[in-house]
Amino acid sequence: MTSTIRQMTTKGTPYFFLLPGLVILGALLSVPLYKVVEYSLYDNVIVERNPTYVGLANYQTLLTDPGYWSAGLNTLLFTVGSVLGHMVVGIGLALLVNADIAPRARTFFRSMLVLPWIFTAVVVALNWQLLLNPFGLINYILQWMGLTTEPLDWLGDPNLAMWSLLLISTWRGYPFIMVSFLSGLQTVPRELYEAAEIDGAGFWSKFWHVTLPQLKPVIYGVALLDLIWTFQLFPLVWLSTGGGPGRATEVLSTLTFRLAFVDFQFSQAATVAVSILIISAAFTLLYLRNEARRL
Amino acid sequence: MIKTRMTAFALAAATALTPLAAQGEIEWLQWFAAENTDGFYDELVADFEAKHPDITVKLVTQPFGKVRESIVTDSAIGVGSDVLGLNMPWTKEFLDIGILEPLDDYLARDDNSFATGDLVEAPLGKIDGHTWMVPLNAFPFVMHVNMGLVREAGFDAPPATWAELSAQTSAISALQDGTSGIGMPFSSQPPSNGPILTFLPLLYANGGRIMDGTTPNFDNPKVVETLQYLKDMNDAGGMAPGAASRTGGVDLEEFIAGRTGFLISPGVHSSSITSRNPELDYTLVRVPSNGENAYRVHGWEIGISADSANKEDAWTFVNYLLSPEVNARAAKAANALPGNLKALDAVREGADETLIKQMDILSGDTPVEEMRQSPKAVGSWSVMTEEIQAMLRGDQTPAETATAVQARWIELAK
Amino acid sequence: MSRIEIRNLVKMYGAHQALHGIDISIQPGEFCVLVGPSGCGKSTTLRMVAGLETISGGEVSIGDRVVNGLRPKERGIAMVFQNYALYPSKTVYNNMAFSLQLSRMPKPEIERRVREVAEILELTPLLDRKPGALSGGQRQRVAMGRAIVRDPKVFLFDEPLSNLDAKLRGQMRAEIKRLHQRLENTIIYVTHDQVEAMTLADRIVIMRDGRIEQQGTPDEIFHDPDTVFVAGFMGSPPMNLVDCMVTPDGLKLGDSEITCATPNGLRAGERVICGIRPDDIRPASDMTADMTADTAHSAPITVPINLIEQLGTEKLVHFSAGDHEMIGKTGGRVTMAEGAPHPMSFDMKHAYFFDPKSEKRIR
Ligand SMILES: Nc1ncnc2c1ncn2[C@@H]1O[C@H](COP(=O)(O)OP(=O)(O)OP(=O)(O)O)[C@@H](O)[C@H]1O
Ligand SMILES: [Mg+2]
Repeated sequence: MTSTIRQMTTKGTPYFFLLPGLVILGALLSVPLYKVVEYSLYDNVIVERNPTYVGLANYQTLLTDPGYWSAGLNTLLFTVGSVLGHMVVGIGLALLVNADIAPRARTFFRSMLVLPWIFTAVVVALNWQLLLNPFGLINYILQWMGLTTEPLDWLGDPNLAMWSLLLISTWRGYPFIMVSFLSGLQTVPRELYEAAEIDGAGFWSKFWHVTLPQLKPVIYGVALLDLIWTFQLFPLVWLSTGGGPGRATEVLSTLTFRLAFVDFQFSQAATVAVSILIISAAFTLLYLRNEARRL
Repeated sequence: MIKTRMTAFALAAATALTPLAAQGEIEWLQWFAAENTDGFYDELVADFEAKHPDITVKLVTQPFGKVRESIVTDSAIGVGSDVLGLNMPWTKEFLDIGILEPLDDYLARDDNSFATGDLVEAPLGKIDGHTWMVPLNAFPFVMHVNMGLVREAGFDAPPATWAELSAQTSAISALQDGTSGIGMPFSSQPPSNGPILTFLPLLYANGGRIMDGTTPNFDNPKVVETLQYLKDMNDAGGMAPGAASRTGGVDLEEFIAGRTGFLISPGVHSSSITSRNPELDYTLVRVPSNGENAYRVHGWEIGISADSANKEDAWTFVNYLLSPEVNARAAKAANALPGNLKALDAVREGADETLIKQMDILSGDTPVEEMRQSPKAVGSWSVMTEEIQAMLRGDQTPAETATAVQARWIELAK
Repeated sequence: MSRIEIRNLVKMYGAHQALHGIDISIQPGEFCVLVGPSGCGKSTTLRMVAGLETISGGEVSIGDRVVNGLRPKERGIAMVFQNYALYPSKTVYNNMAFSLQLSRMPKPEIERRVREVAEILELTPLLDRKPGALSGGQRQRVAMGRAIVRDPKVFLFDEPLSNLDAKLRGQMRAEIKRLHQRLENTIIYVTHDQVEAMTLADRIVIMRDGRIEQQGTPDEIFHDPDTVFVAGFMGSPPMNLVDCMVTPDGLKLGDSEITCATPNGLRAGERVICGIRPDDIRPASDMTADMTADTAHSAPITVPINLIEQLGTEKLVHFSAGDHEMIGKTGGRVTMAEGAPHPMSFDMKHAYFFDPKSEKRIR
């Protein structure tokens, strides 16, 4: 009897120490979560002193709103495009800075290349606005190289804005991928590359048959994580284009913000937020399953 | 049911967040101190506290872009500030939510430090039968002019009419790569308010309006005419390229850097222009007119929160801010005109040429303020921005643009 | 079946010189083993032949071509690594087929070759597995299979068996020998296991500190060492190497004197290093016909026996002579007491003499 109690207390002790953290974390997560779901079931909240329960009416409105679907499509484009951009640039640069060059140069390049990561979204957005301005550096270079004749309004032309945004997002987000891959690359045994070299593999074959398979678990995990982050990315989009021109770069997160803080339609905003939540949760489940499998 | 729960939640949050909300302490939420770097507002508060030892004022400063959000969300969870810095376009929204305290009774008192009749009129106009705010300061929208570029383009005076403006913008744009006649900040980036910065002043100078009382009335001939004017100016190359991605901030920077001939914006910008680029051959004029001498009036307003527990103290502070002596100091600190016109003479003393010119505009021309009564004002700017972008791209005519804005605005206001 | 010529090969790692001019000439079809202590430059030499390390000086030719500037795949070589270096994501079949696929060989031909080699190495049932699901020996065979399918002119092995247990190592050693007899390729094989070296090699190259100490057939290396280092390196237990003084009719070893012919050109009073293998020191009581045949060369001295090690068919007899710890041998059934003095007989006609300064053999 006493031994059972002792066993229970010894077993319980670690959880006991976790308790305050769990309670705080639980409260911080569950209260807003609960609130958002609740908000989405009323006609409007915060600005409405006496909200009326409307059930799923907001969801119905949302699903029949072309603006929602176009923001959804933009989100898909932006997310997939950004993650692809991050992957390609991140892996490419990781390979480059993993190369066998003078250690000091390597350290220099490695630190330079993670720089985009440390800037806040405000700074990134402002810098790129200046670069992409019709009178900015990028237009200047393009015209100087003879690639364009007229200055292009990269962020103001609906046909170009999403591409420009992807460029900015790629620039901003690749360092995380690069750093993850760099540490992954360093765990690939050198002998594998040597064996491949003797087997006659060139750069691409080595990359395809040795590097990629070795990095596959890392790639999958990092890509999912990046997907989850990018999917709900808000500040960079809001500050770079504000969803415009028109609604050409409106994504679900900016739509949420616009509904909430521009239009004061908090319940409608909560409804969009819940839809983001559901999709993010699905990605997160995938990610957790992947992590569990790796362990 | 949700209401009780929300109240409970709000109460809990309020007790947690403002444990020191003692009697005699008031909070002043504003962005004014964020646009002033020499600590003027801290001194102001200290001065007030010295004169009113039983009241302390907590200065809560946020950037302009955050204040509207904060007022709404703070009020929703019951932690709203007592005295609020206000922007006239927010009025209607705030009234719908019930954030503001009517000021009629306070203004009617005879122990006030000012006479209500001396205050700048625009913010005082009654909505729903009440007055909701008082002016700390006021400034007209003007046109800033780079005289260097004007002369280089072969003119010896700034434009006074639409026709002159068209001619000069095209001529300046043609000067060399990188200079443009005028910038138009029609970017969707927040706050996405380009139309009220540039389009409305031009519209008012054309004798047009976008409101009919409290109803949106965007689809009218004057609006279409003004849109057509913008479109023609853009097609003629007078407008800086990239209007659809140009923010108000960039527009101001480009003017300061000497790359645009004209900038339509609040008169207060003159101080940053002259201090940031003293080399600029700079002056300011009234917005070129197409028959009407009217200007868009703007200012920094003050209101009291309906939920405030210290309304008396809050009024004491507002009353202090409006006294001619204090109001003159506040106007000077912002390089604006005083909200209390009794302070005009004090402000005029030692004022620079640009401020004098603004005073002339203020005293001679017709002030127009429509945003105060506009429903969903902030949302409506985004709509105007998006539709004007499409028009400048050539996707729709000015008439179609006016119709589209009107339809979307009405939809938004429902 | 190519000749390999290594001429004056030098390797610099920054300021550190790892190889100081290596010359090896390997005949077509020859099995050449590089041995030497850890860090002596065996792998470096092998990897320079493979093309995995740049050549700082000298020349490597395979067949009639100087290969200094060629990439590994252009050298007609195959290499087996110590840790197998199998591609973990590929099946055994694809591991073996990879180089052929890269060279765009037609599929049926690849299939034929891989199956043929798999048959030789008894890998056929494992072709669909991934390396992770194989035992160490099986992985080693796959690694060899991967090298063999390419039908290279030259095989390079870098300690291929060192990760296997003793028994498996013996089996694989035999298998490699068999393969060599069957394929007749030229092989360079790095090991620090002298049994492997002795059993496999046509030619042994002994390296030390980036230089070649001696090269020759296993017989030459074992029975005719040029230096103290080589003498001490080959053989287990190692050769006894003792510092002695020359006397008019033999050597003075501690307090005792061993009569023997005076080494060439040495006079009494000079010092010399005498090397004698444990097999050539026996208890006097245990003398075999072989050792008594020429008594002039052998002289029993009585020494304290410290330790007897039973190995089964034979025993190792540890004894002291003066300051020197030495080892002799006796039959597995002979009984000897530890701790008691015992006369030991030295077969001096199989002794080697070395100059104590240069450590070179005095012949
Ligand atoms: N990449 C390198 N950079 C610097 N020095 C190196 C490098 N590789 C090897 N060396 C040095 O070169 C020398 C020879 O190394 P090598 O690997 O050829 O030895 P080895 O004979 O194969 O030894 P082992 O039996 O331990 O494998 C050693 O002193 C080693 O420290
Ligand atoms: Mg080695």
